[in-house]
Amino acid sequence: MLKFALKRLAFLPLVMFGVTALLFLCLQHLSPEMRASLYIKDPRQLSQLESVIEKYGLRKPVYVQYGIWLKQLAHGDLGYSETAKMPVAEAIMSFFPATFELTLVAFFPIIIVGVFFGVLSAVYRDKFIDHVSRFVAITGYSLPSFVLGLLLLMVFYGRLHMFPPGRYSLDTDTLLQAGNFHHWTGLLSLDCVLNGQWSAALDVLSHLVLPAATLLYIEVALLLRITRSSMLEELTKDYIRTARAKGLPERVIIRKHALANALIPVVTLSSLLFISLLGGVVITETVFDFPGIGHWGVQAAEQLDIAGVLGSALLAAFLFVCANLVSDMLYAVVDPRIRVGGS
Amino acid sequence: MHDMIRLLLCAALVGAPAAPAFAAGAVKNPDTYTYLTISDADSMDPAWGYDTASDLMILNVYDTLWTFDGKSTEKLTPLIATKIPSKENGLISPDGKTYTIPLRHGVKFHDGTEMTPEDVRYSLLRFMLLDRAAGPSSLLLEPLVGYPNTRDDADKINPKVWDDVNRAVTVQGDRLILRLPHPYAPILSILATWAPVVSKKWAIANRDWDGTQATWEKFNNSSKEQSPFFERANGTGPFKLVRWDRRTKEFVLERWDGYWRAPAKIKNVIVRGVNEFGTRKLMLINGDADAIYADRPLWSQLQNLPGVQIVDDLPTMQNDPVVFFTFQVNTVGNAYVGSGKLDGEGIPADFFADKDVRKGFAYAFDYKDFIGDVLRGKGTQATGSIPNSMPGHNPNQQTYHLDLKKAAEHFKKAFGGQVWEKGFHFTIAYNSGNMPRETVCQIIKRNVEGLNPKFRIDVRAVEWPTFLDAQKASKLPIFVLGWNADYPDPHNFAFPLLHSKGDYPPYQHFKDPEMDRLIEEANSETNPTKRKEIYFKLQALEFEEVPHLNLVDEVRYRTQRDWVKGWVNNPVFPDAPYGSYFYTIYKQ
Repeated sequence: MLKFALKRLAFLPLVMFGVTALLFLCLQHLSPEMRASLYIKDPRQLSQLESVIEKYGLRKPVYVQYGIWLKQLAHGDLGYSETAKMPVAEAIMSFFPATFELTLVAFFPIIIVGVFFGVLSAVYRDKFIDHVSRFVAITGYSLPSFVLGLLLLMVFYGRLHMFPPGRYSLDTDTLLQAGNFHHWTGLLSLDCVLNGQWSAALDVLSHLVLPAATLLYIEVALLLRITRSSMLEELTKDYIRTARAKGLPERVIIRKHALANALIPVVTLSSLLFISLLGGVVITETVFDFPGIGHWGVQAAEQLDIAGVLGSALLAAFLFVCANLVSDMLYAVVDPRIRVGGS
Repeated sequence: MHDMIRLLLCAALVGAPAAPAFAAGAVKNPDTYTYLTISDADSMDPAWGYDTASDLMILNVYDTLWTFDGKSTEKLTPLIATKIPSKENGLISPDGKTYTIPLRHGVKFHDGTEMTPEDVRYSLLRFMLLDRAAGPSSLLLEPLVGYPNTRDDADKINPKVWDDVNRAVTVQGDRLILRLPHPYAPILSILATWAPVVSKKWAIANRDWDGTQATWEKFNNSSKEQSPFFERANGTGPFKLVRWDRRTKEFVLERWDGYWRAPAKIKNVIVRGVNEFGTRKLMLINGDADAIYADRPLWSQLQNLPGVQIVDDLPTMQNDPVVFFTFQVNTVGNAYVGSGKLDGEGIPADFFADKDVRKGFAYAFDYKDFIGDVLRGKGTQATGSIPNSMPGHNPNQQTYHLDLKKAAEHFKKAFGGQVWEKGFHFTIAYNSGNMPRETVCQIIKRNVEGLNPKFRIDVRAVEWPTFLDAQKASKLPIFVLGWNADYPDPHNFAFPLLHSKGDYPPYQHFKDPEMDRLIEEANSETNPTKRKEIYFKLQALEFEEVPHLNLVDEVRYRTQRDWVKGWVNNPVFPDAPYGSYFYTIYKQ
């Protein structure tokens, strides 16, 4: 298992190199004037366009610029992100924990609800619970996240004065800035607990409720549908019929036999879902004013913040490789017939 | 789950504003004023900041020599200086080239150290010598040394700069002396807005420029993040910068109790970037925000909200949108000009060099419709490049109005009748996401195409990078942009919009020697009456030449909680009227 994991991780630099080289290649199609738009945002600056191009070396061939970037990278410098107004490494360290925290809070409910109702829907096919589950899945999948997000904000924050936007309240902000507060993990709710600040932890969690609920409702749909169809497929197979003929209780058939096999595509989907959540949920982060990595990544792409885009791409590549590795390992856990790294 | 869906659907269908979070009269967070904006500041460095978000913070943390008095864009009131120089009080020399500025004693920086005249000199020098690409340094370089950059076209340092700036800015005792190469009428306005006072001692202690000739080039056009002024501040202004959280786009300011005037009325100020309007609006309703950024298209969504006040009809210092004609278009590989010939399938390179074509477009625009539909009737038709909030504006200047008959007459005369006979086809571009500019393009298309079936115009939204690229290459036959003033003086509109060396005419390939002469004459004329006359002549010439279409003198509105008191609107302030000078604000 360890050998397999190391082998997969060895590919990581290659994937990262490929991703960044591809991005630089794409940039060849953009003129220096277009790339200067990162620094020229106001017509008052138009007359100094050439000066900006000169300063940032935007007329240099793209391979030269890539070479410079690689050289910087070799020294541990990912460059400076103009959109984040900080070095790229610092930006990743600042934005990623927020998204990671939101992902953790949203991901497990998504898995639990998606698998539970997917199984229920398959077992009670064409019954009331199946209809309800499918209706929820369809509406969730078709509802734009900004609509749902704003609706939740209107109802809970606007009307009931609960679950405000942002990452924390004014009081918690003051507490976080205090010299004696230690930011151990970057996950604010956990940091608050570790610092013994329970009310602040609750405050942080209350700010996570609506974005997590939005993600839950939007993202659970696909998982529910896949679980349902996978379960339906398993339930019609011969070994299930045999188990039933042998008189095994239905509960045992579903839990021990069908579910284990039905979970393989669910694991694949879950790992992809986890990556997409970690990569940032742009709309949700924007609506709830949540300072996450997705919001920054999109801003960097929109404004042609090359250092920012490359930093986000490196992070995405890293997450993708790691999540694939974890999902491959989980296959072995779910189905002992699969031997990771075996011949 | 059904209940939840029902609840959500009800909320969406009813769409009623939420009930106020607080009983009438109750003020949420009475010591903290929170403003939500969409802008993202670039730097806290006064010599770098050239965007509204940065300038708003700099305004409140640093002091300039003087500022504008209340709502006025003309009357000045002293800050670091003790008197406003004028010829009458003898502080401006008779030739208008030497300014003597007495400086205040007892002014303290936020670190408790006392401000000295040398700090003021250092601040002005640093503002000019830092001269970052696309930065604000030219605003002082131009009047004080007579040229706008410290570097030449090849990006090499101009060897004269050090001597010139040191000759221009000196200290004698507790007085600052400015020596201008030529009289420069807007200099007082510029100094009211730019180059605030920083602490030389603090700068040196934090490894910024030490004020010597030996080191200044190292700091010229350097990276902003290397400067200690980038995210920290030590000014003399009414508020101290507590922190700038770039992750949450949040500035936290705290009242400076050692301020040389009475301390500010509000204790804390938070300025935070929240991009989503719905979120900003809900935070305002809930009392978590005291004022929010919201432009004209959002006006109807803010009406009749409990506890929310809208202050409307506020003047601006901008000319936006403006329809620019390019007199010499680059037709090589240019999809915006069709065939590149006057054959009904395109336009030739010099299409807009013909005055009749420009006048045809000017008479085909429906100014009233634009103001009525897009700006909801808020604003008046512009009479020239100088907006009505500026001295030098001529309210009686003849303007163009919608007259399709006259438009047709001009098009029939253009290119000896060929335009009318053969027709044309080209594309107008605007930067995507800007609704008023998009509407301008659609109005032009609708009205001009209605004149002659052979006239065809496409409207294309392009992203800002593409827009910049095409404009730099002179590929856009018509482009729609705008101008926000750097300082409240007619020169800051006349020069960028009409002078051949301004900000737009070089891209348009427009040059009118008489206009250039008038602009230069007005700039060095210090007599307000004579200056006004010159600007009137300029605007009359502008009407005749039509290098661009000025559409509207817009008014803005401000959205704030009704417990916000003491706010003063001055269009000079960055981000006005949304952001503001927080010194006078309090909550009650």
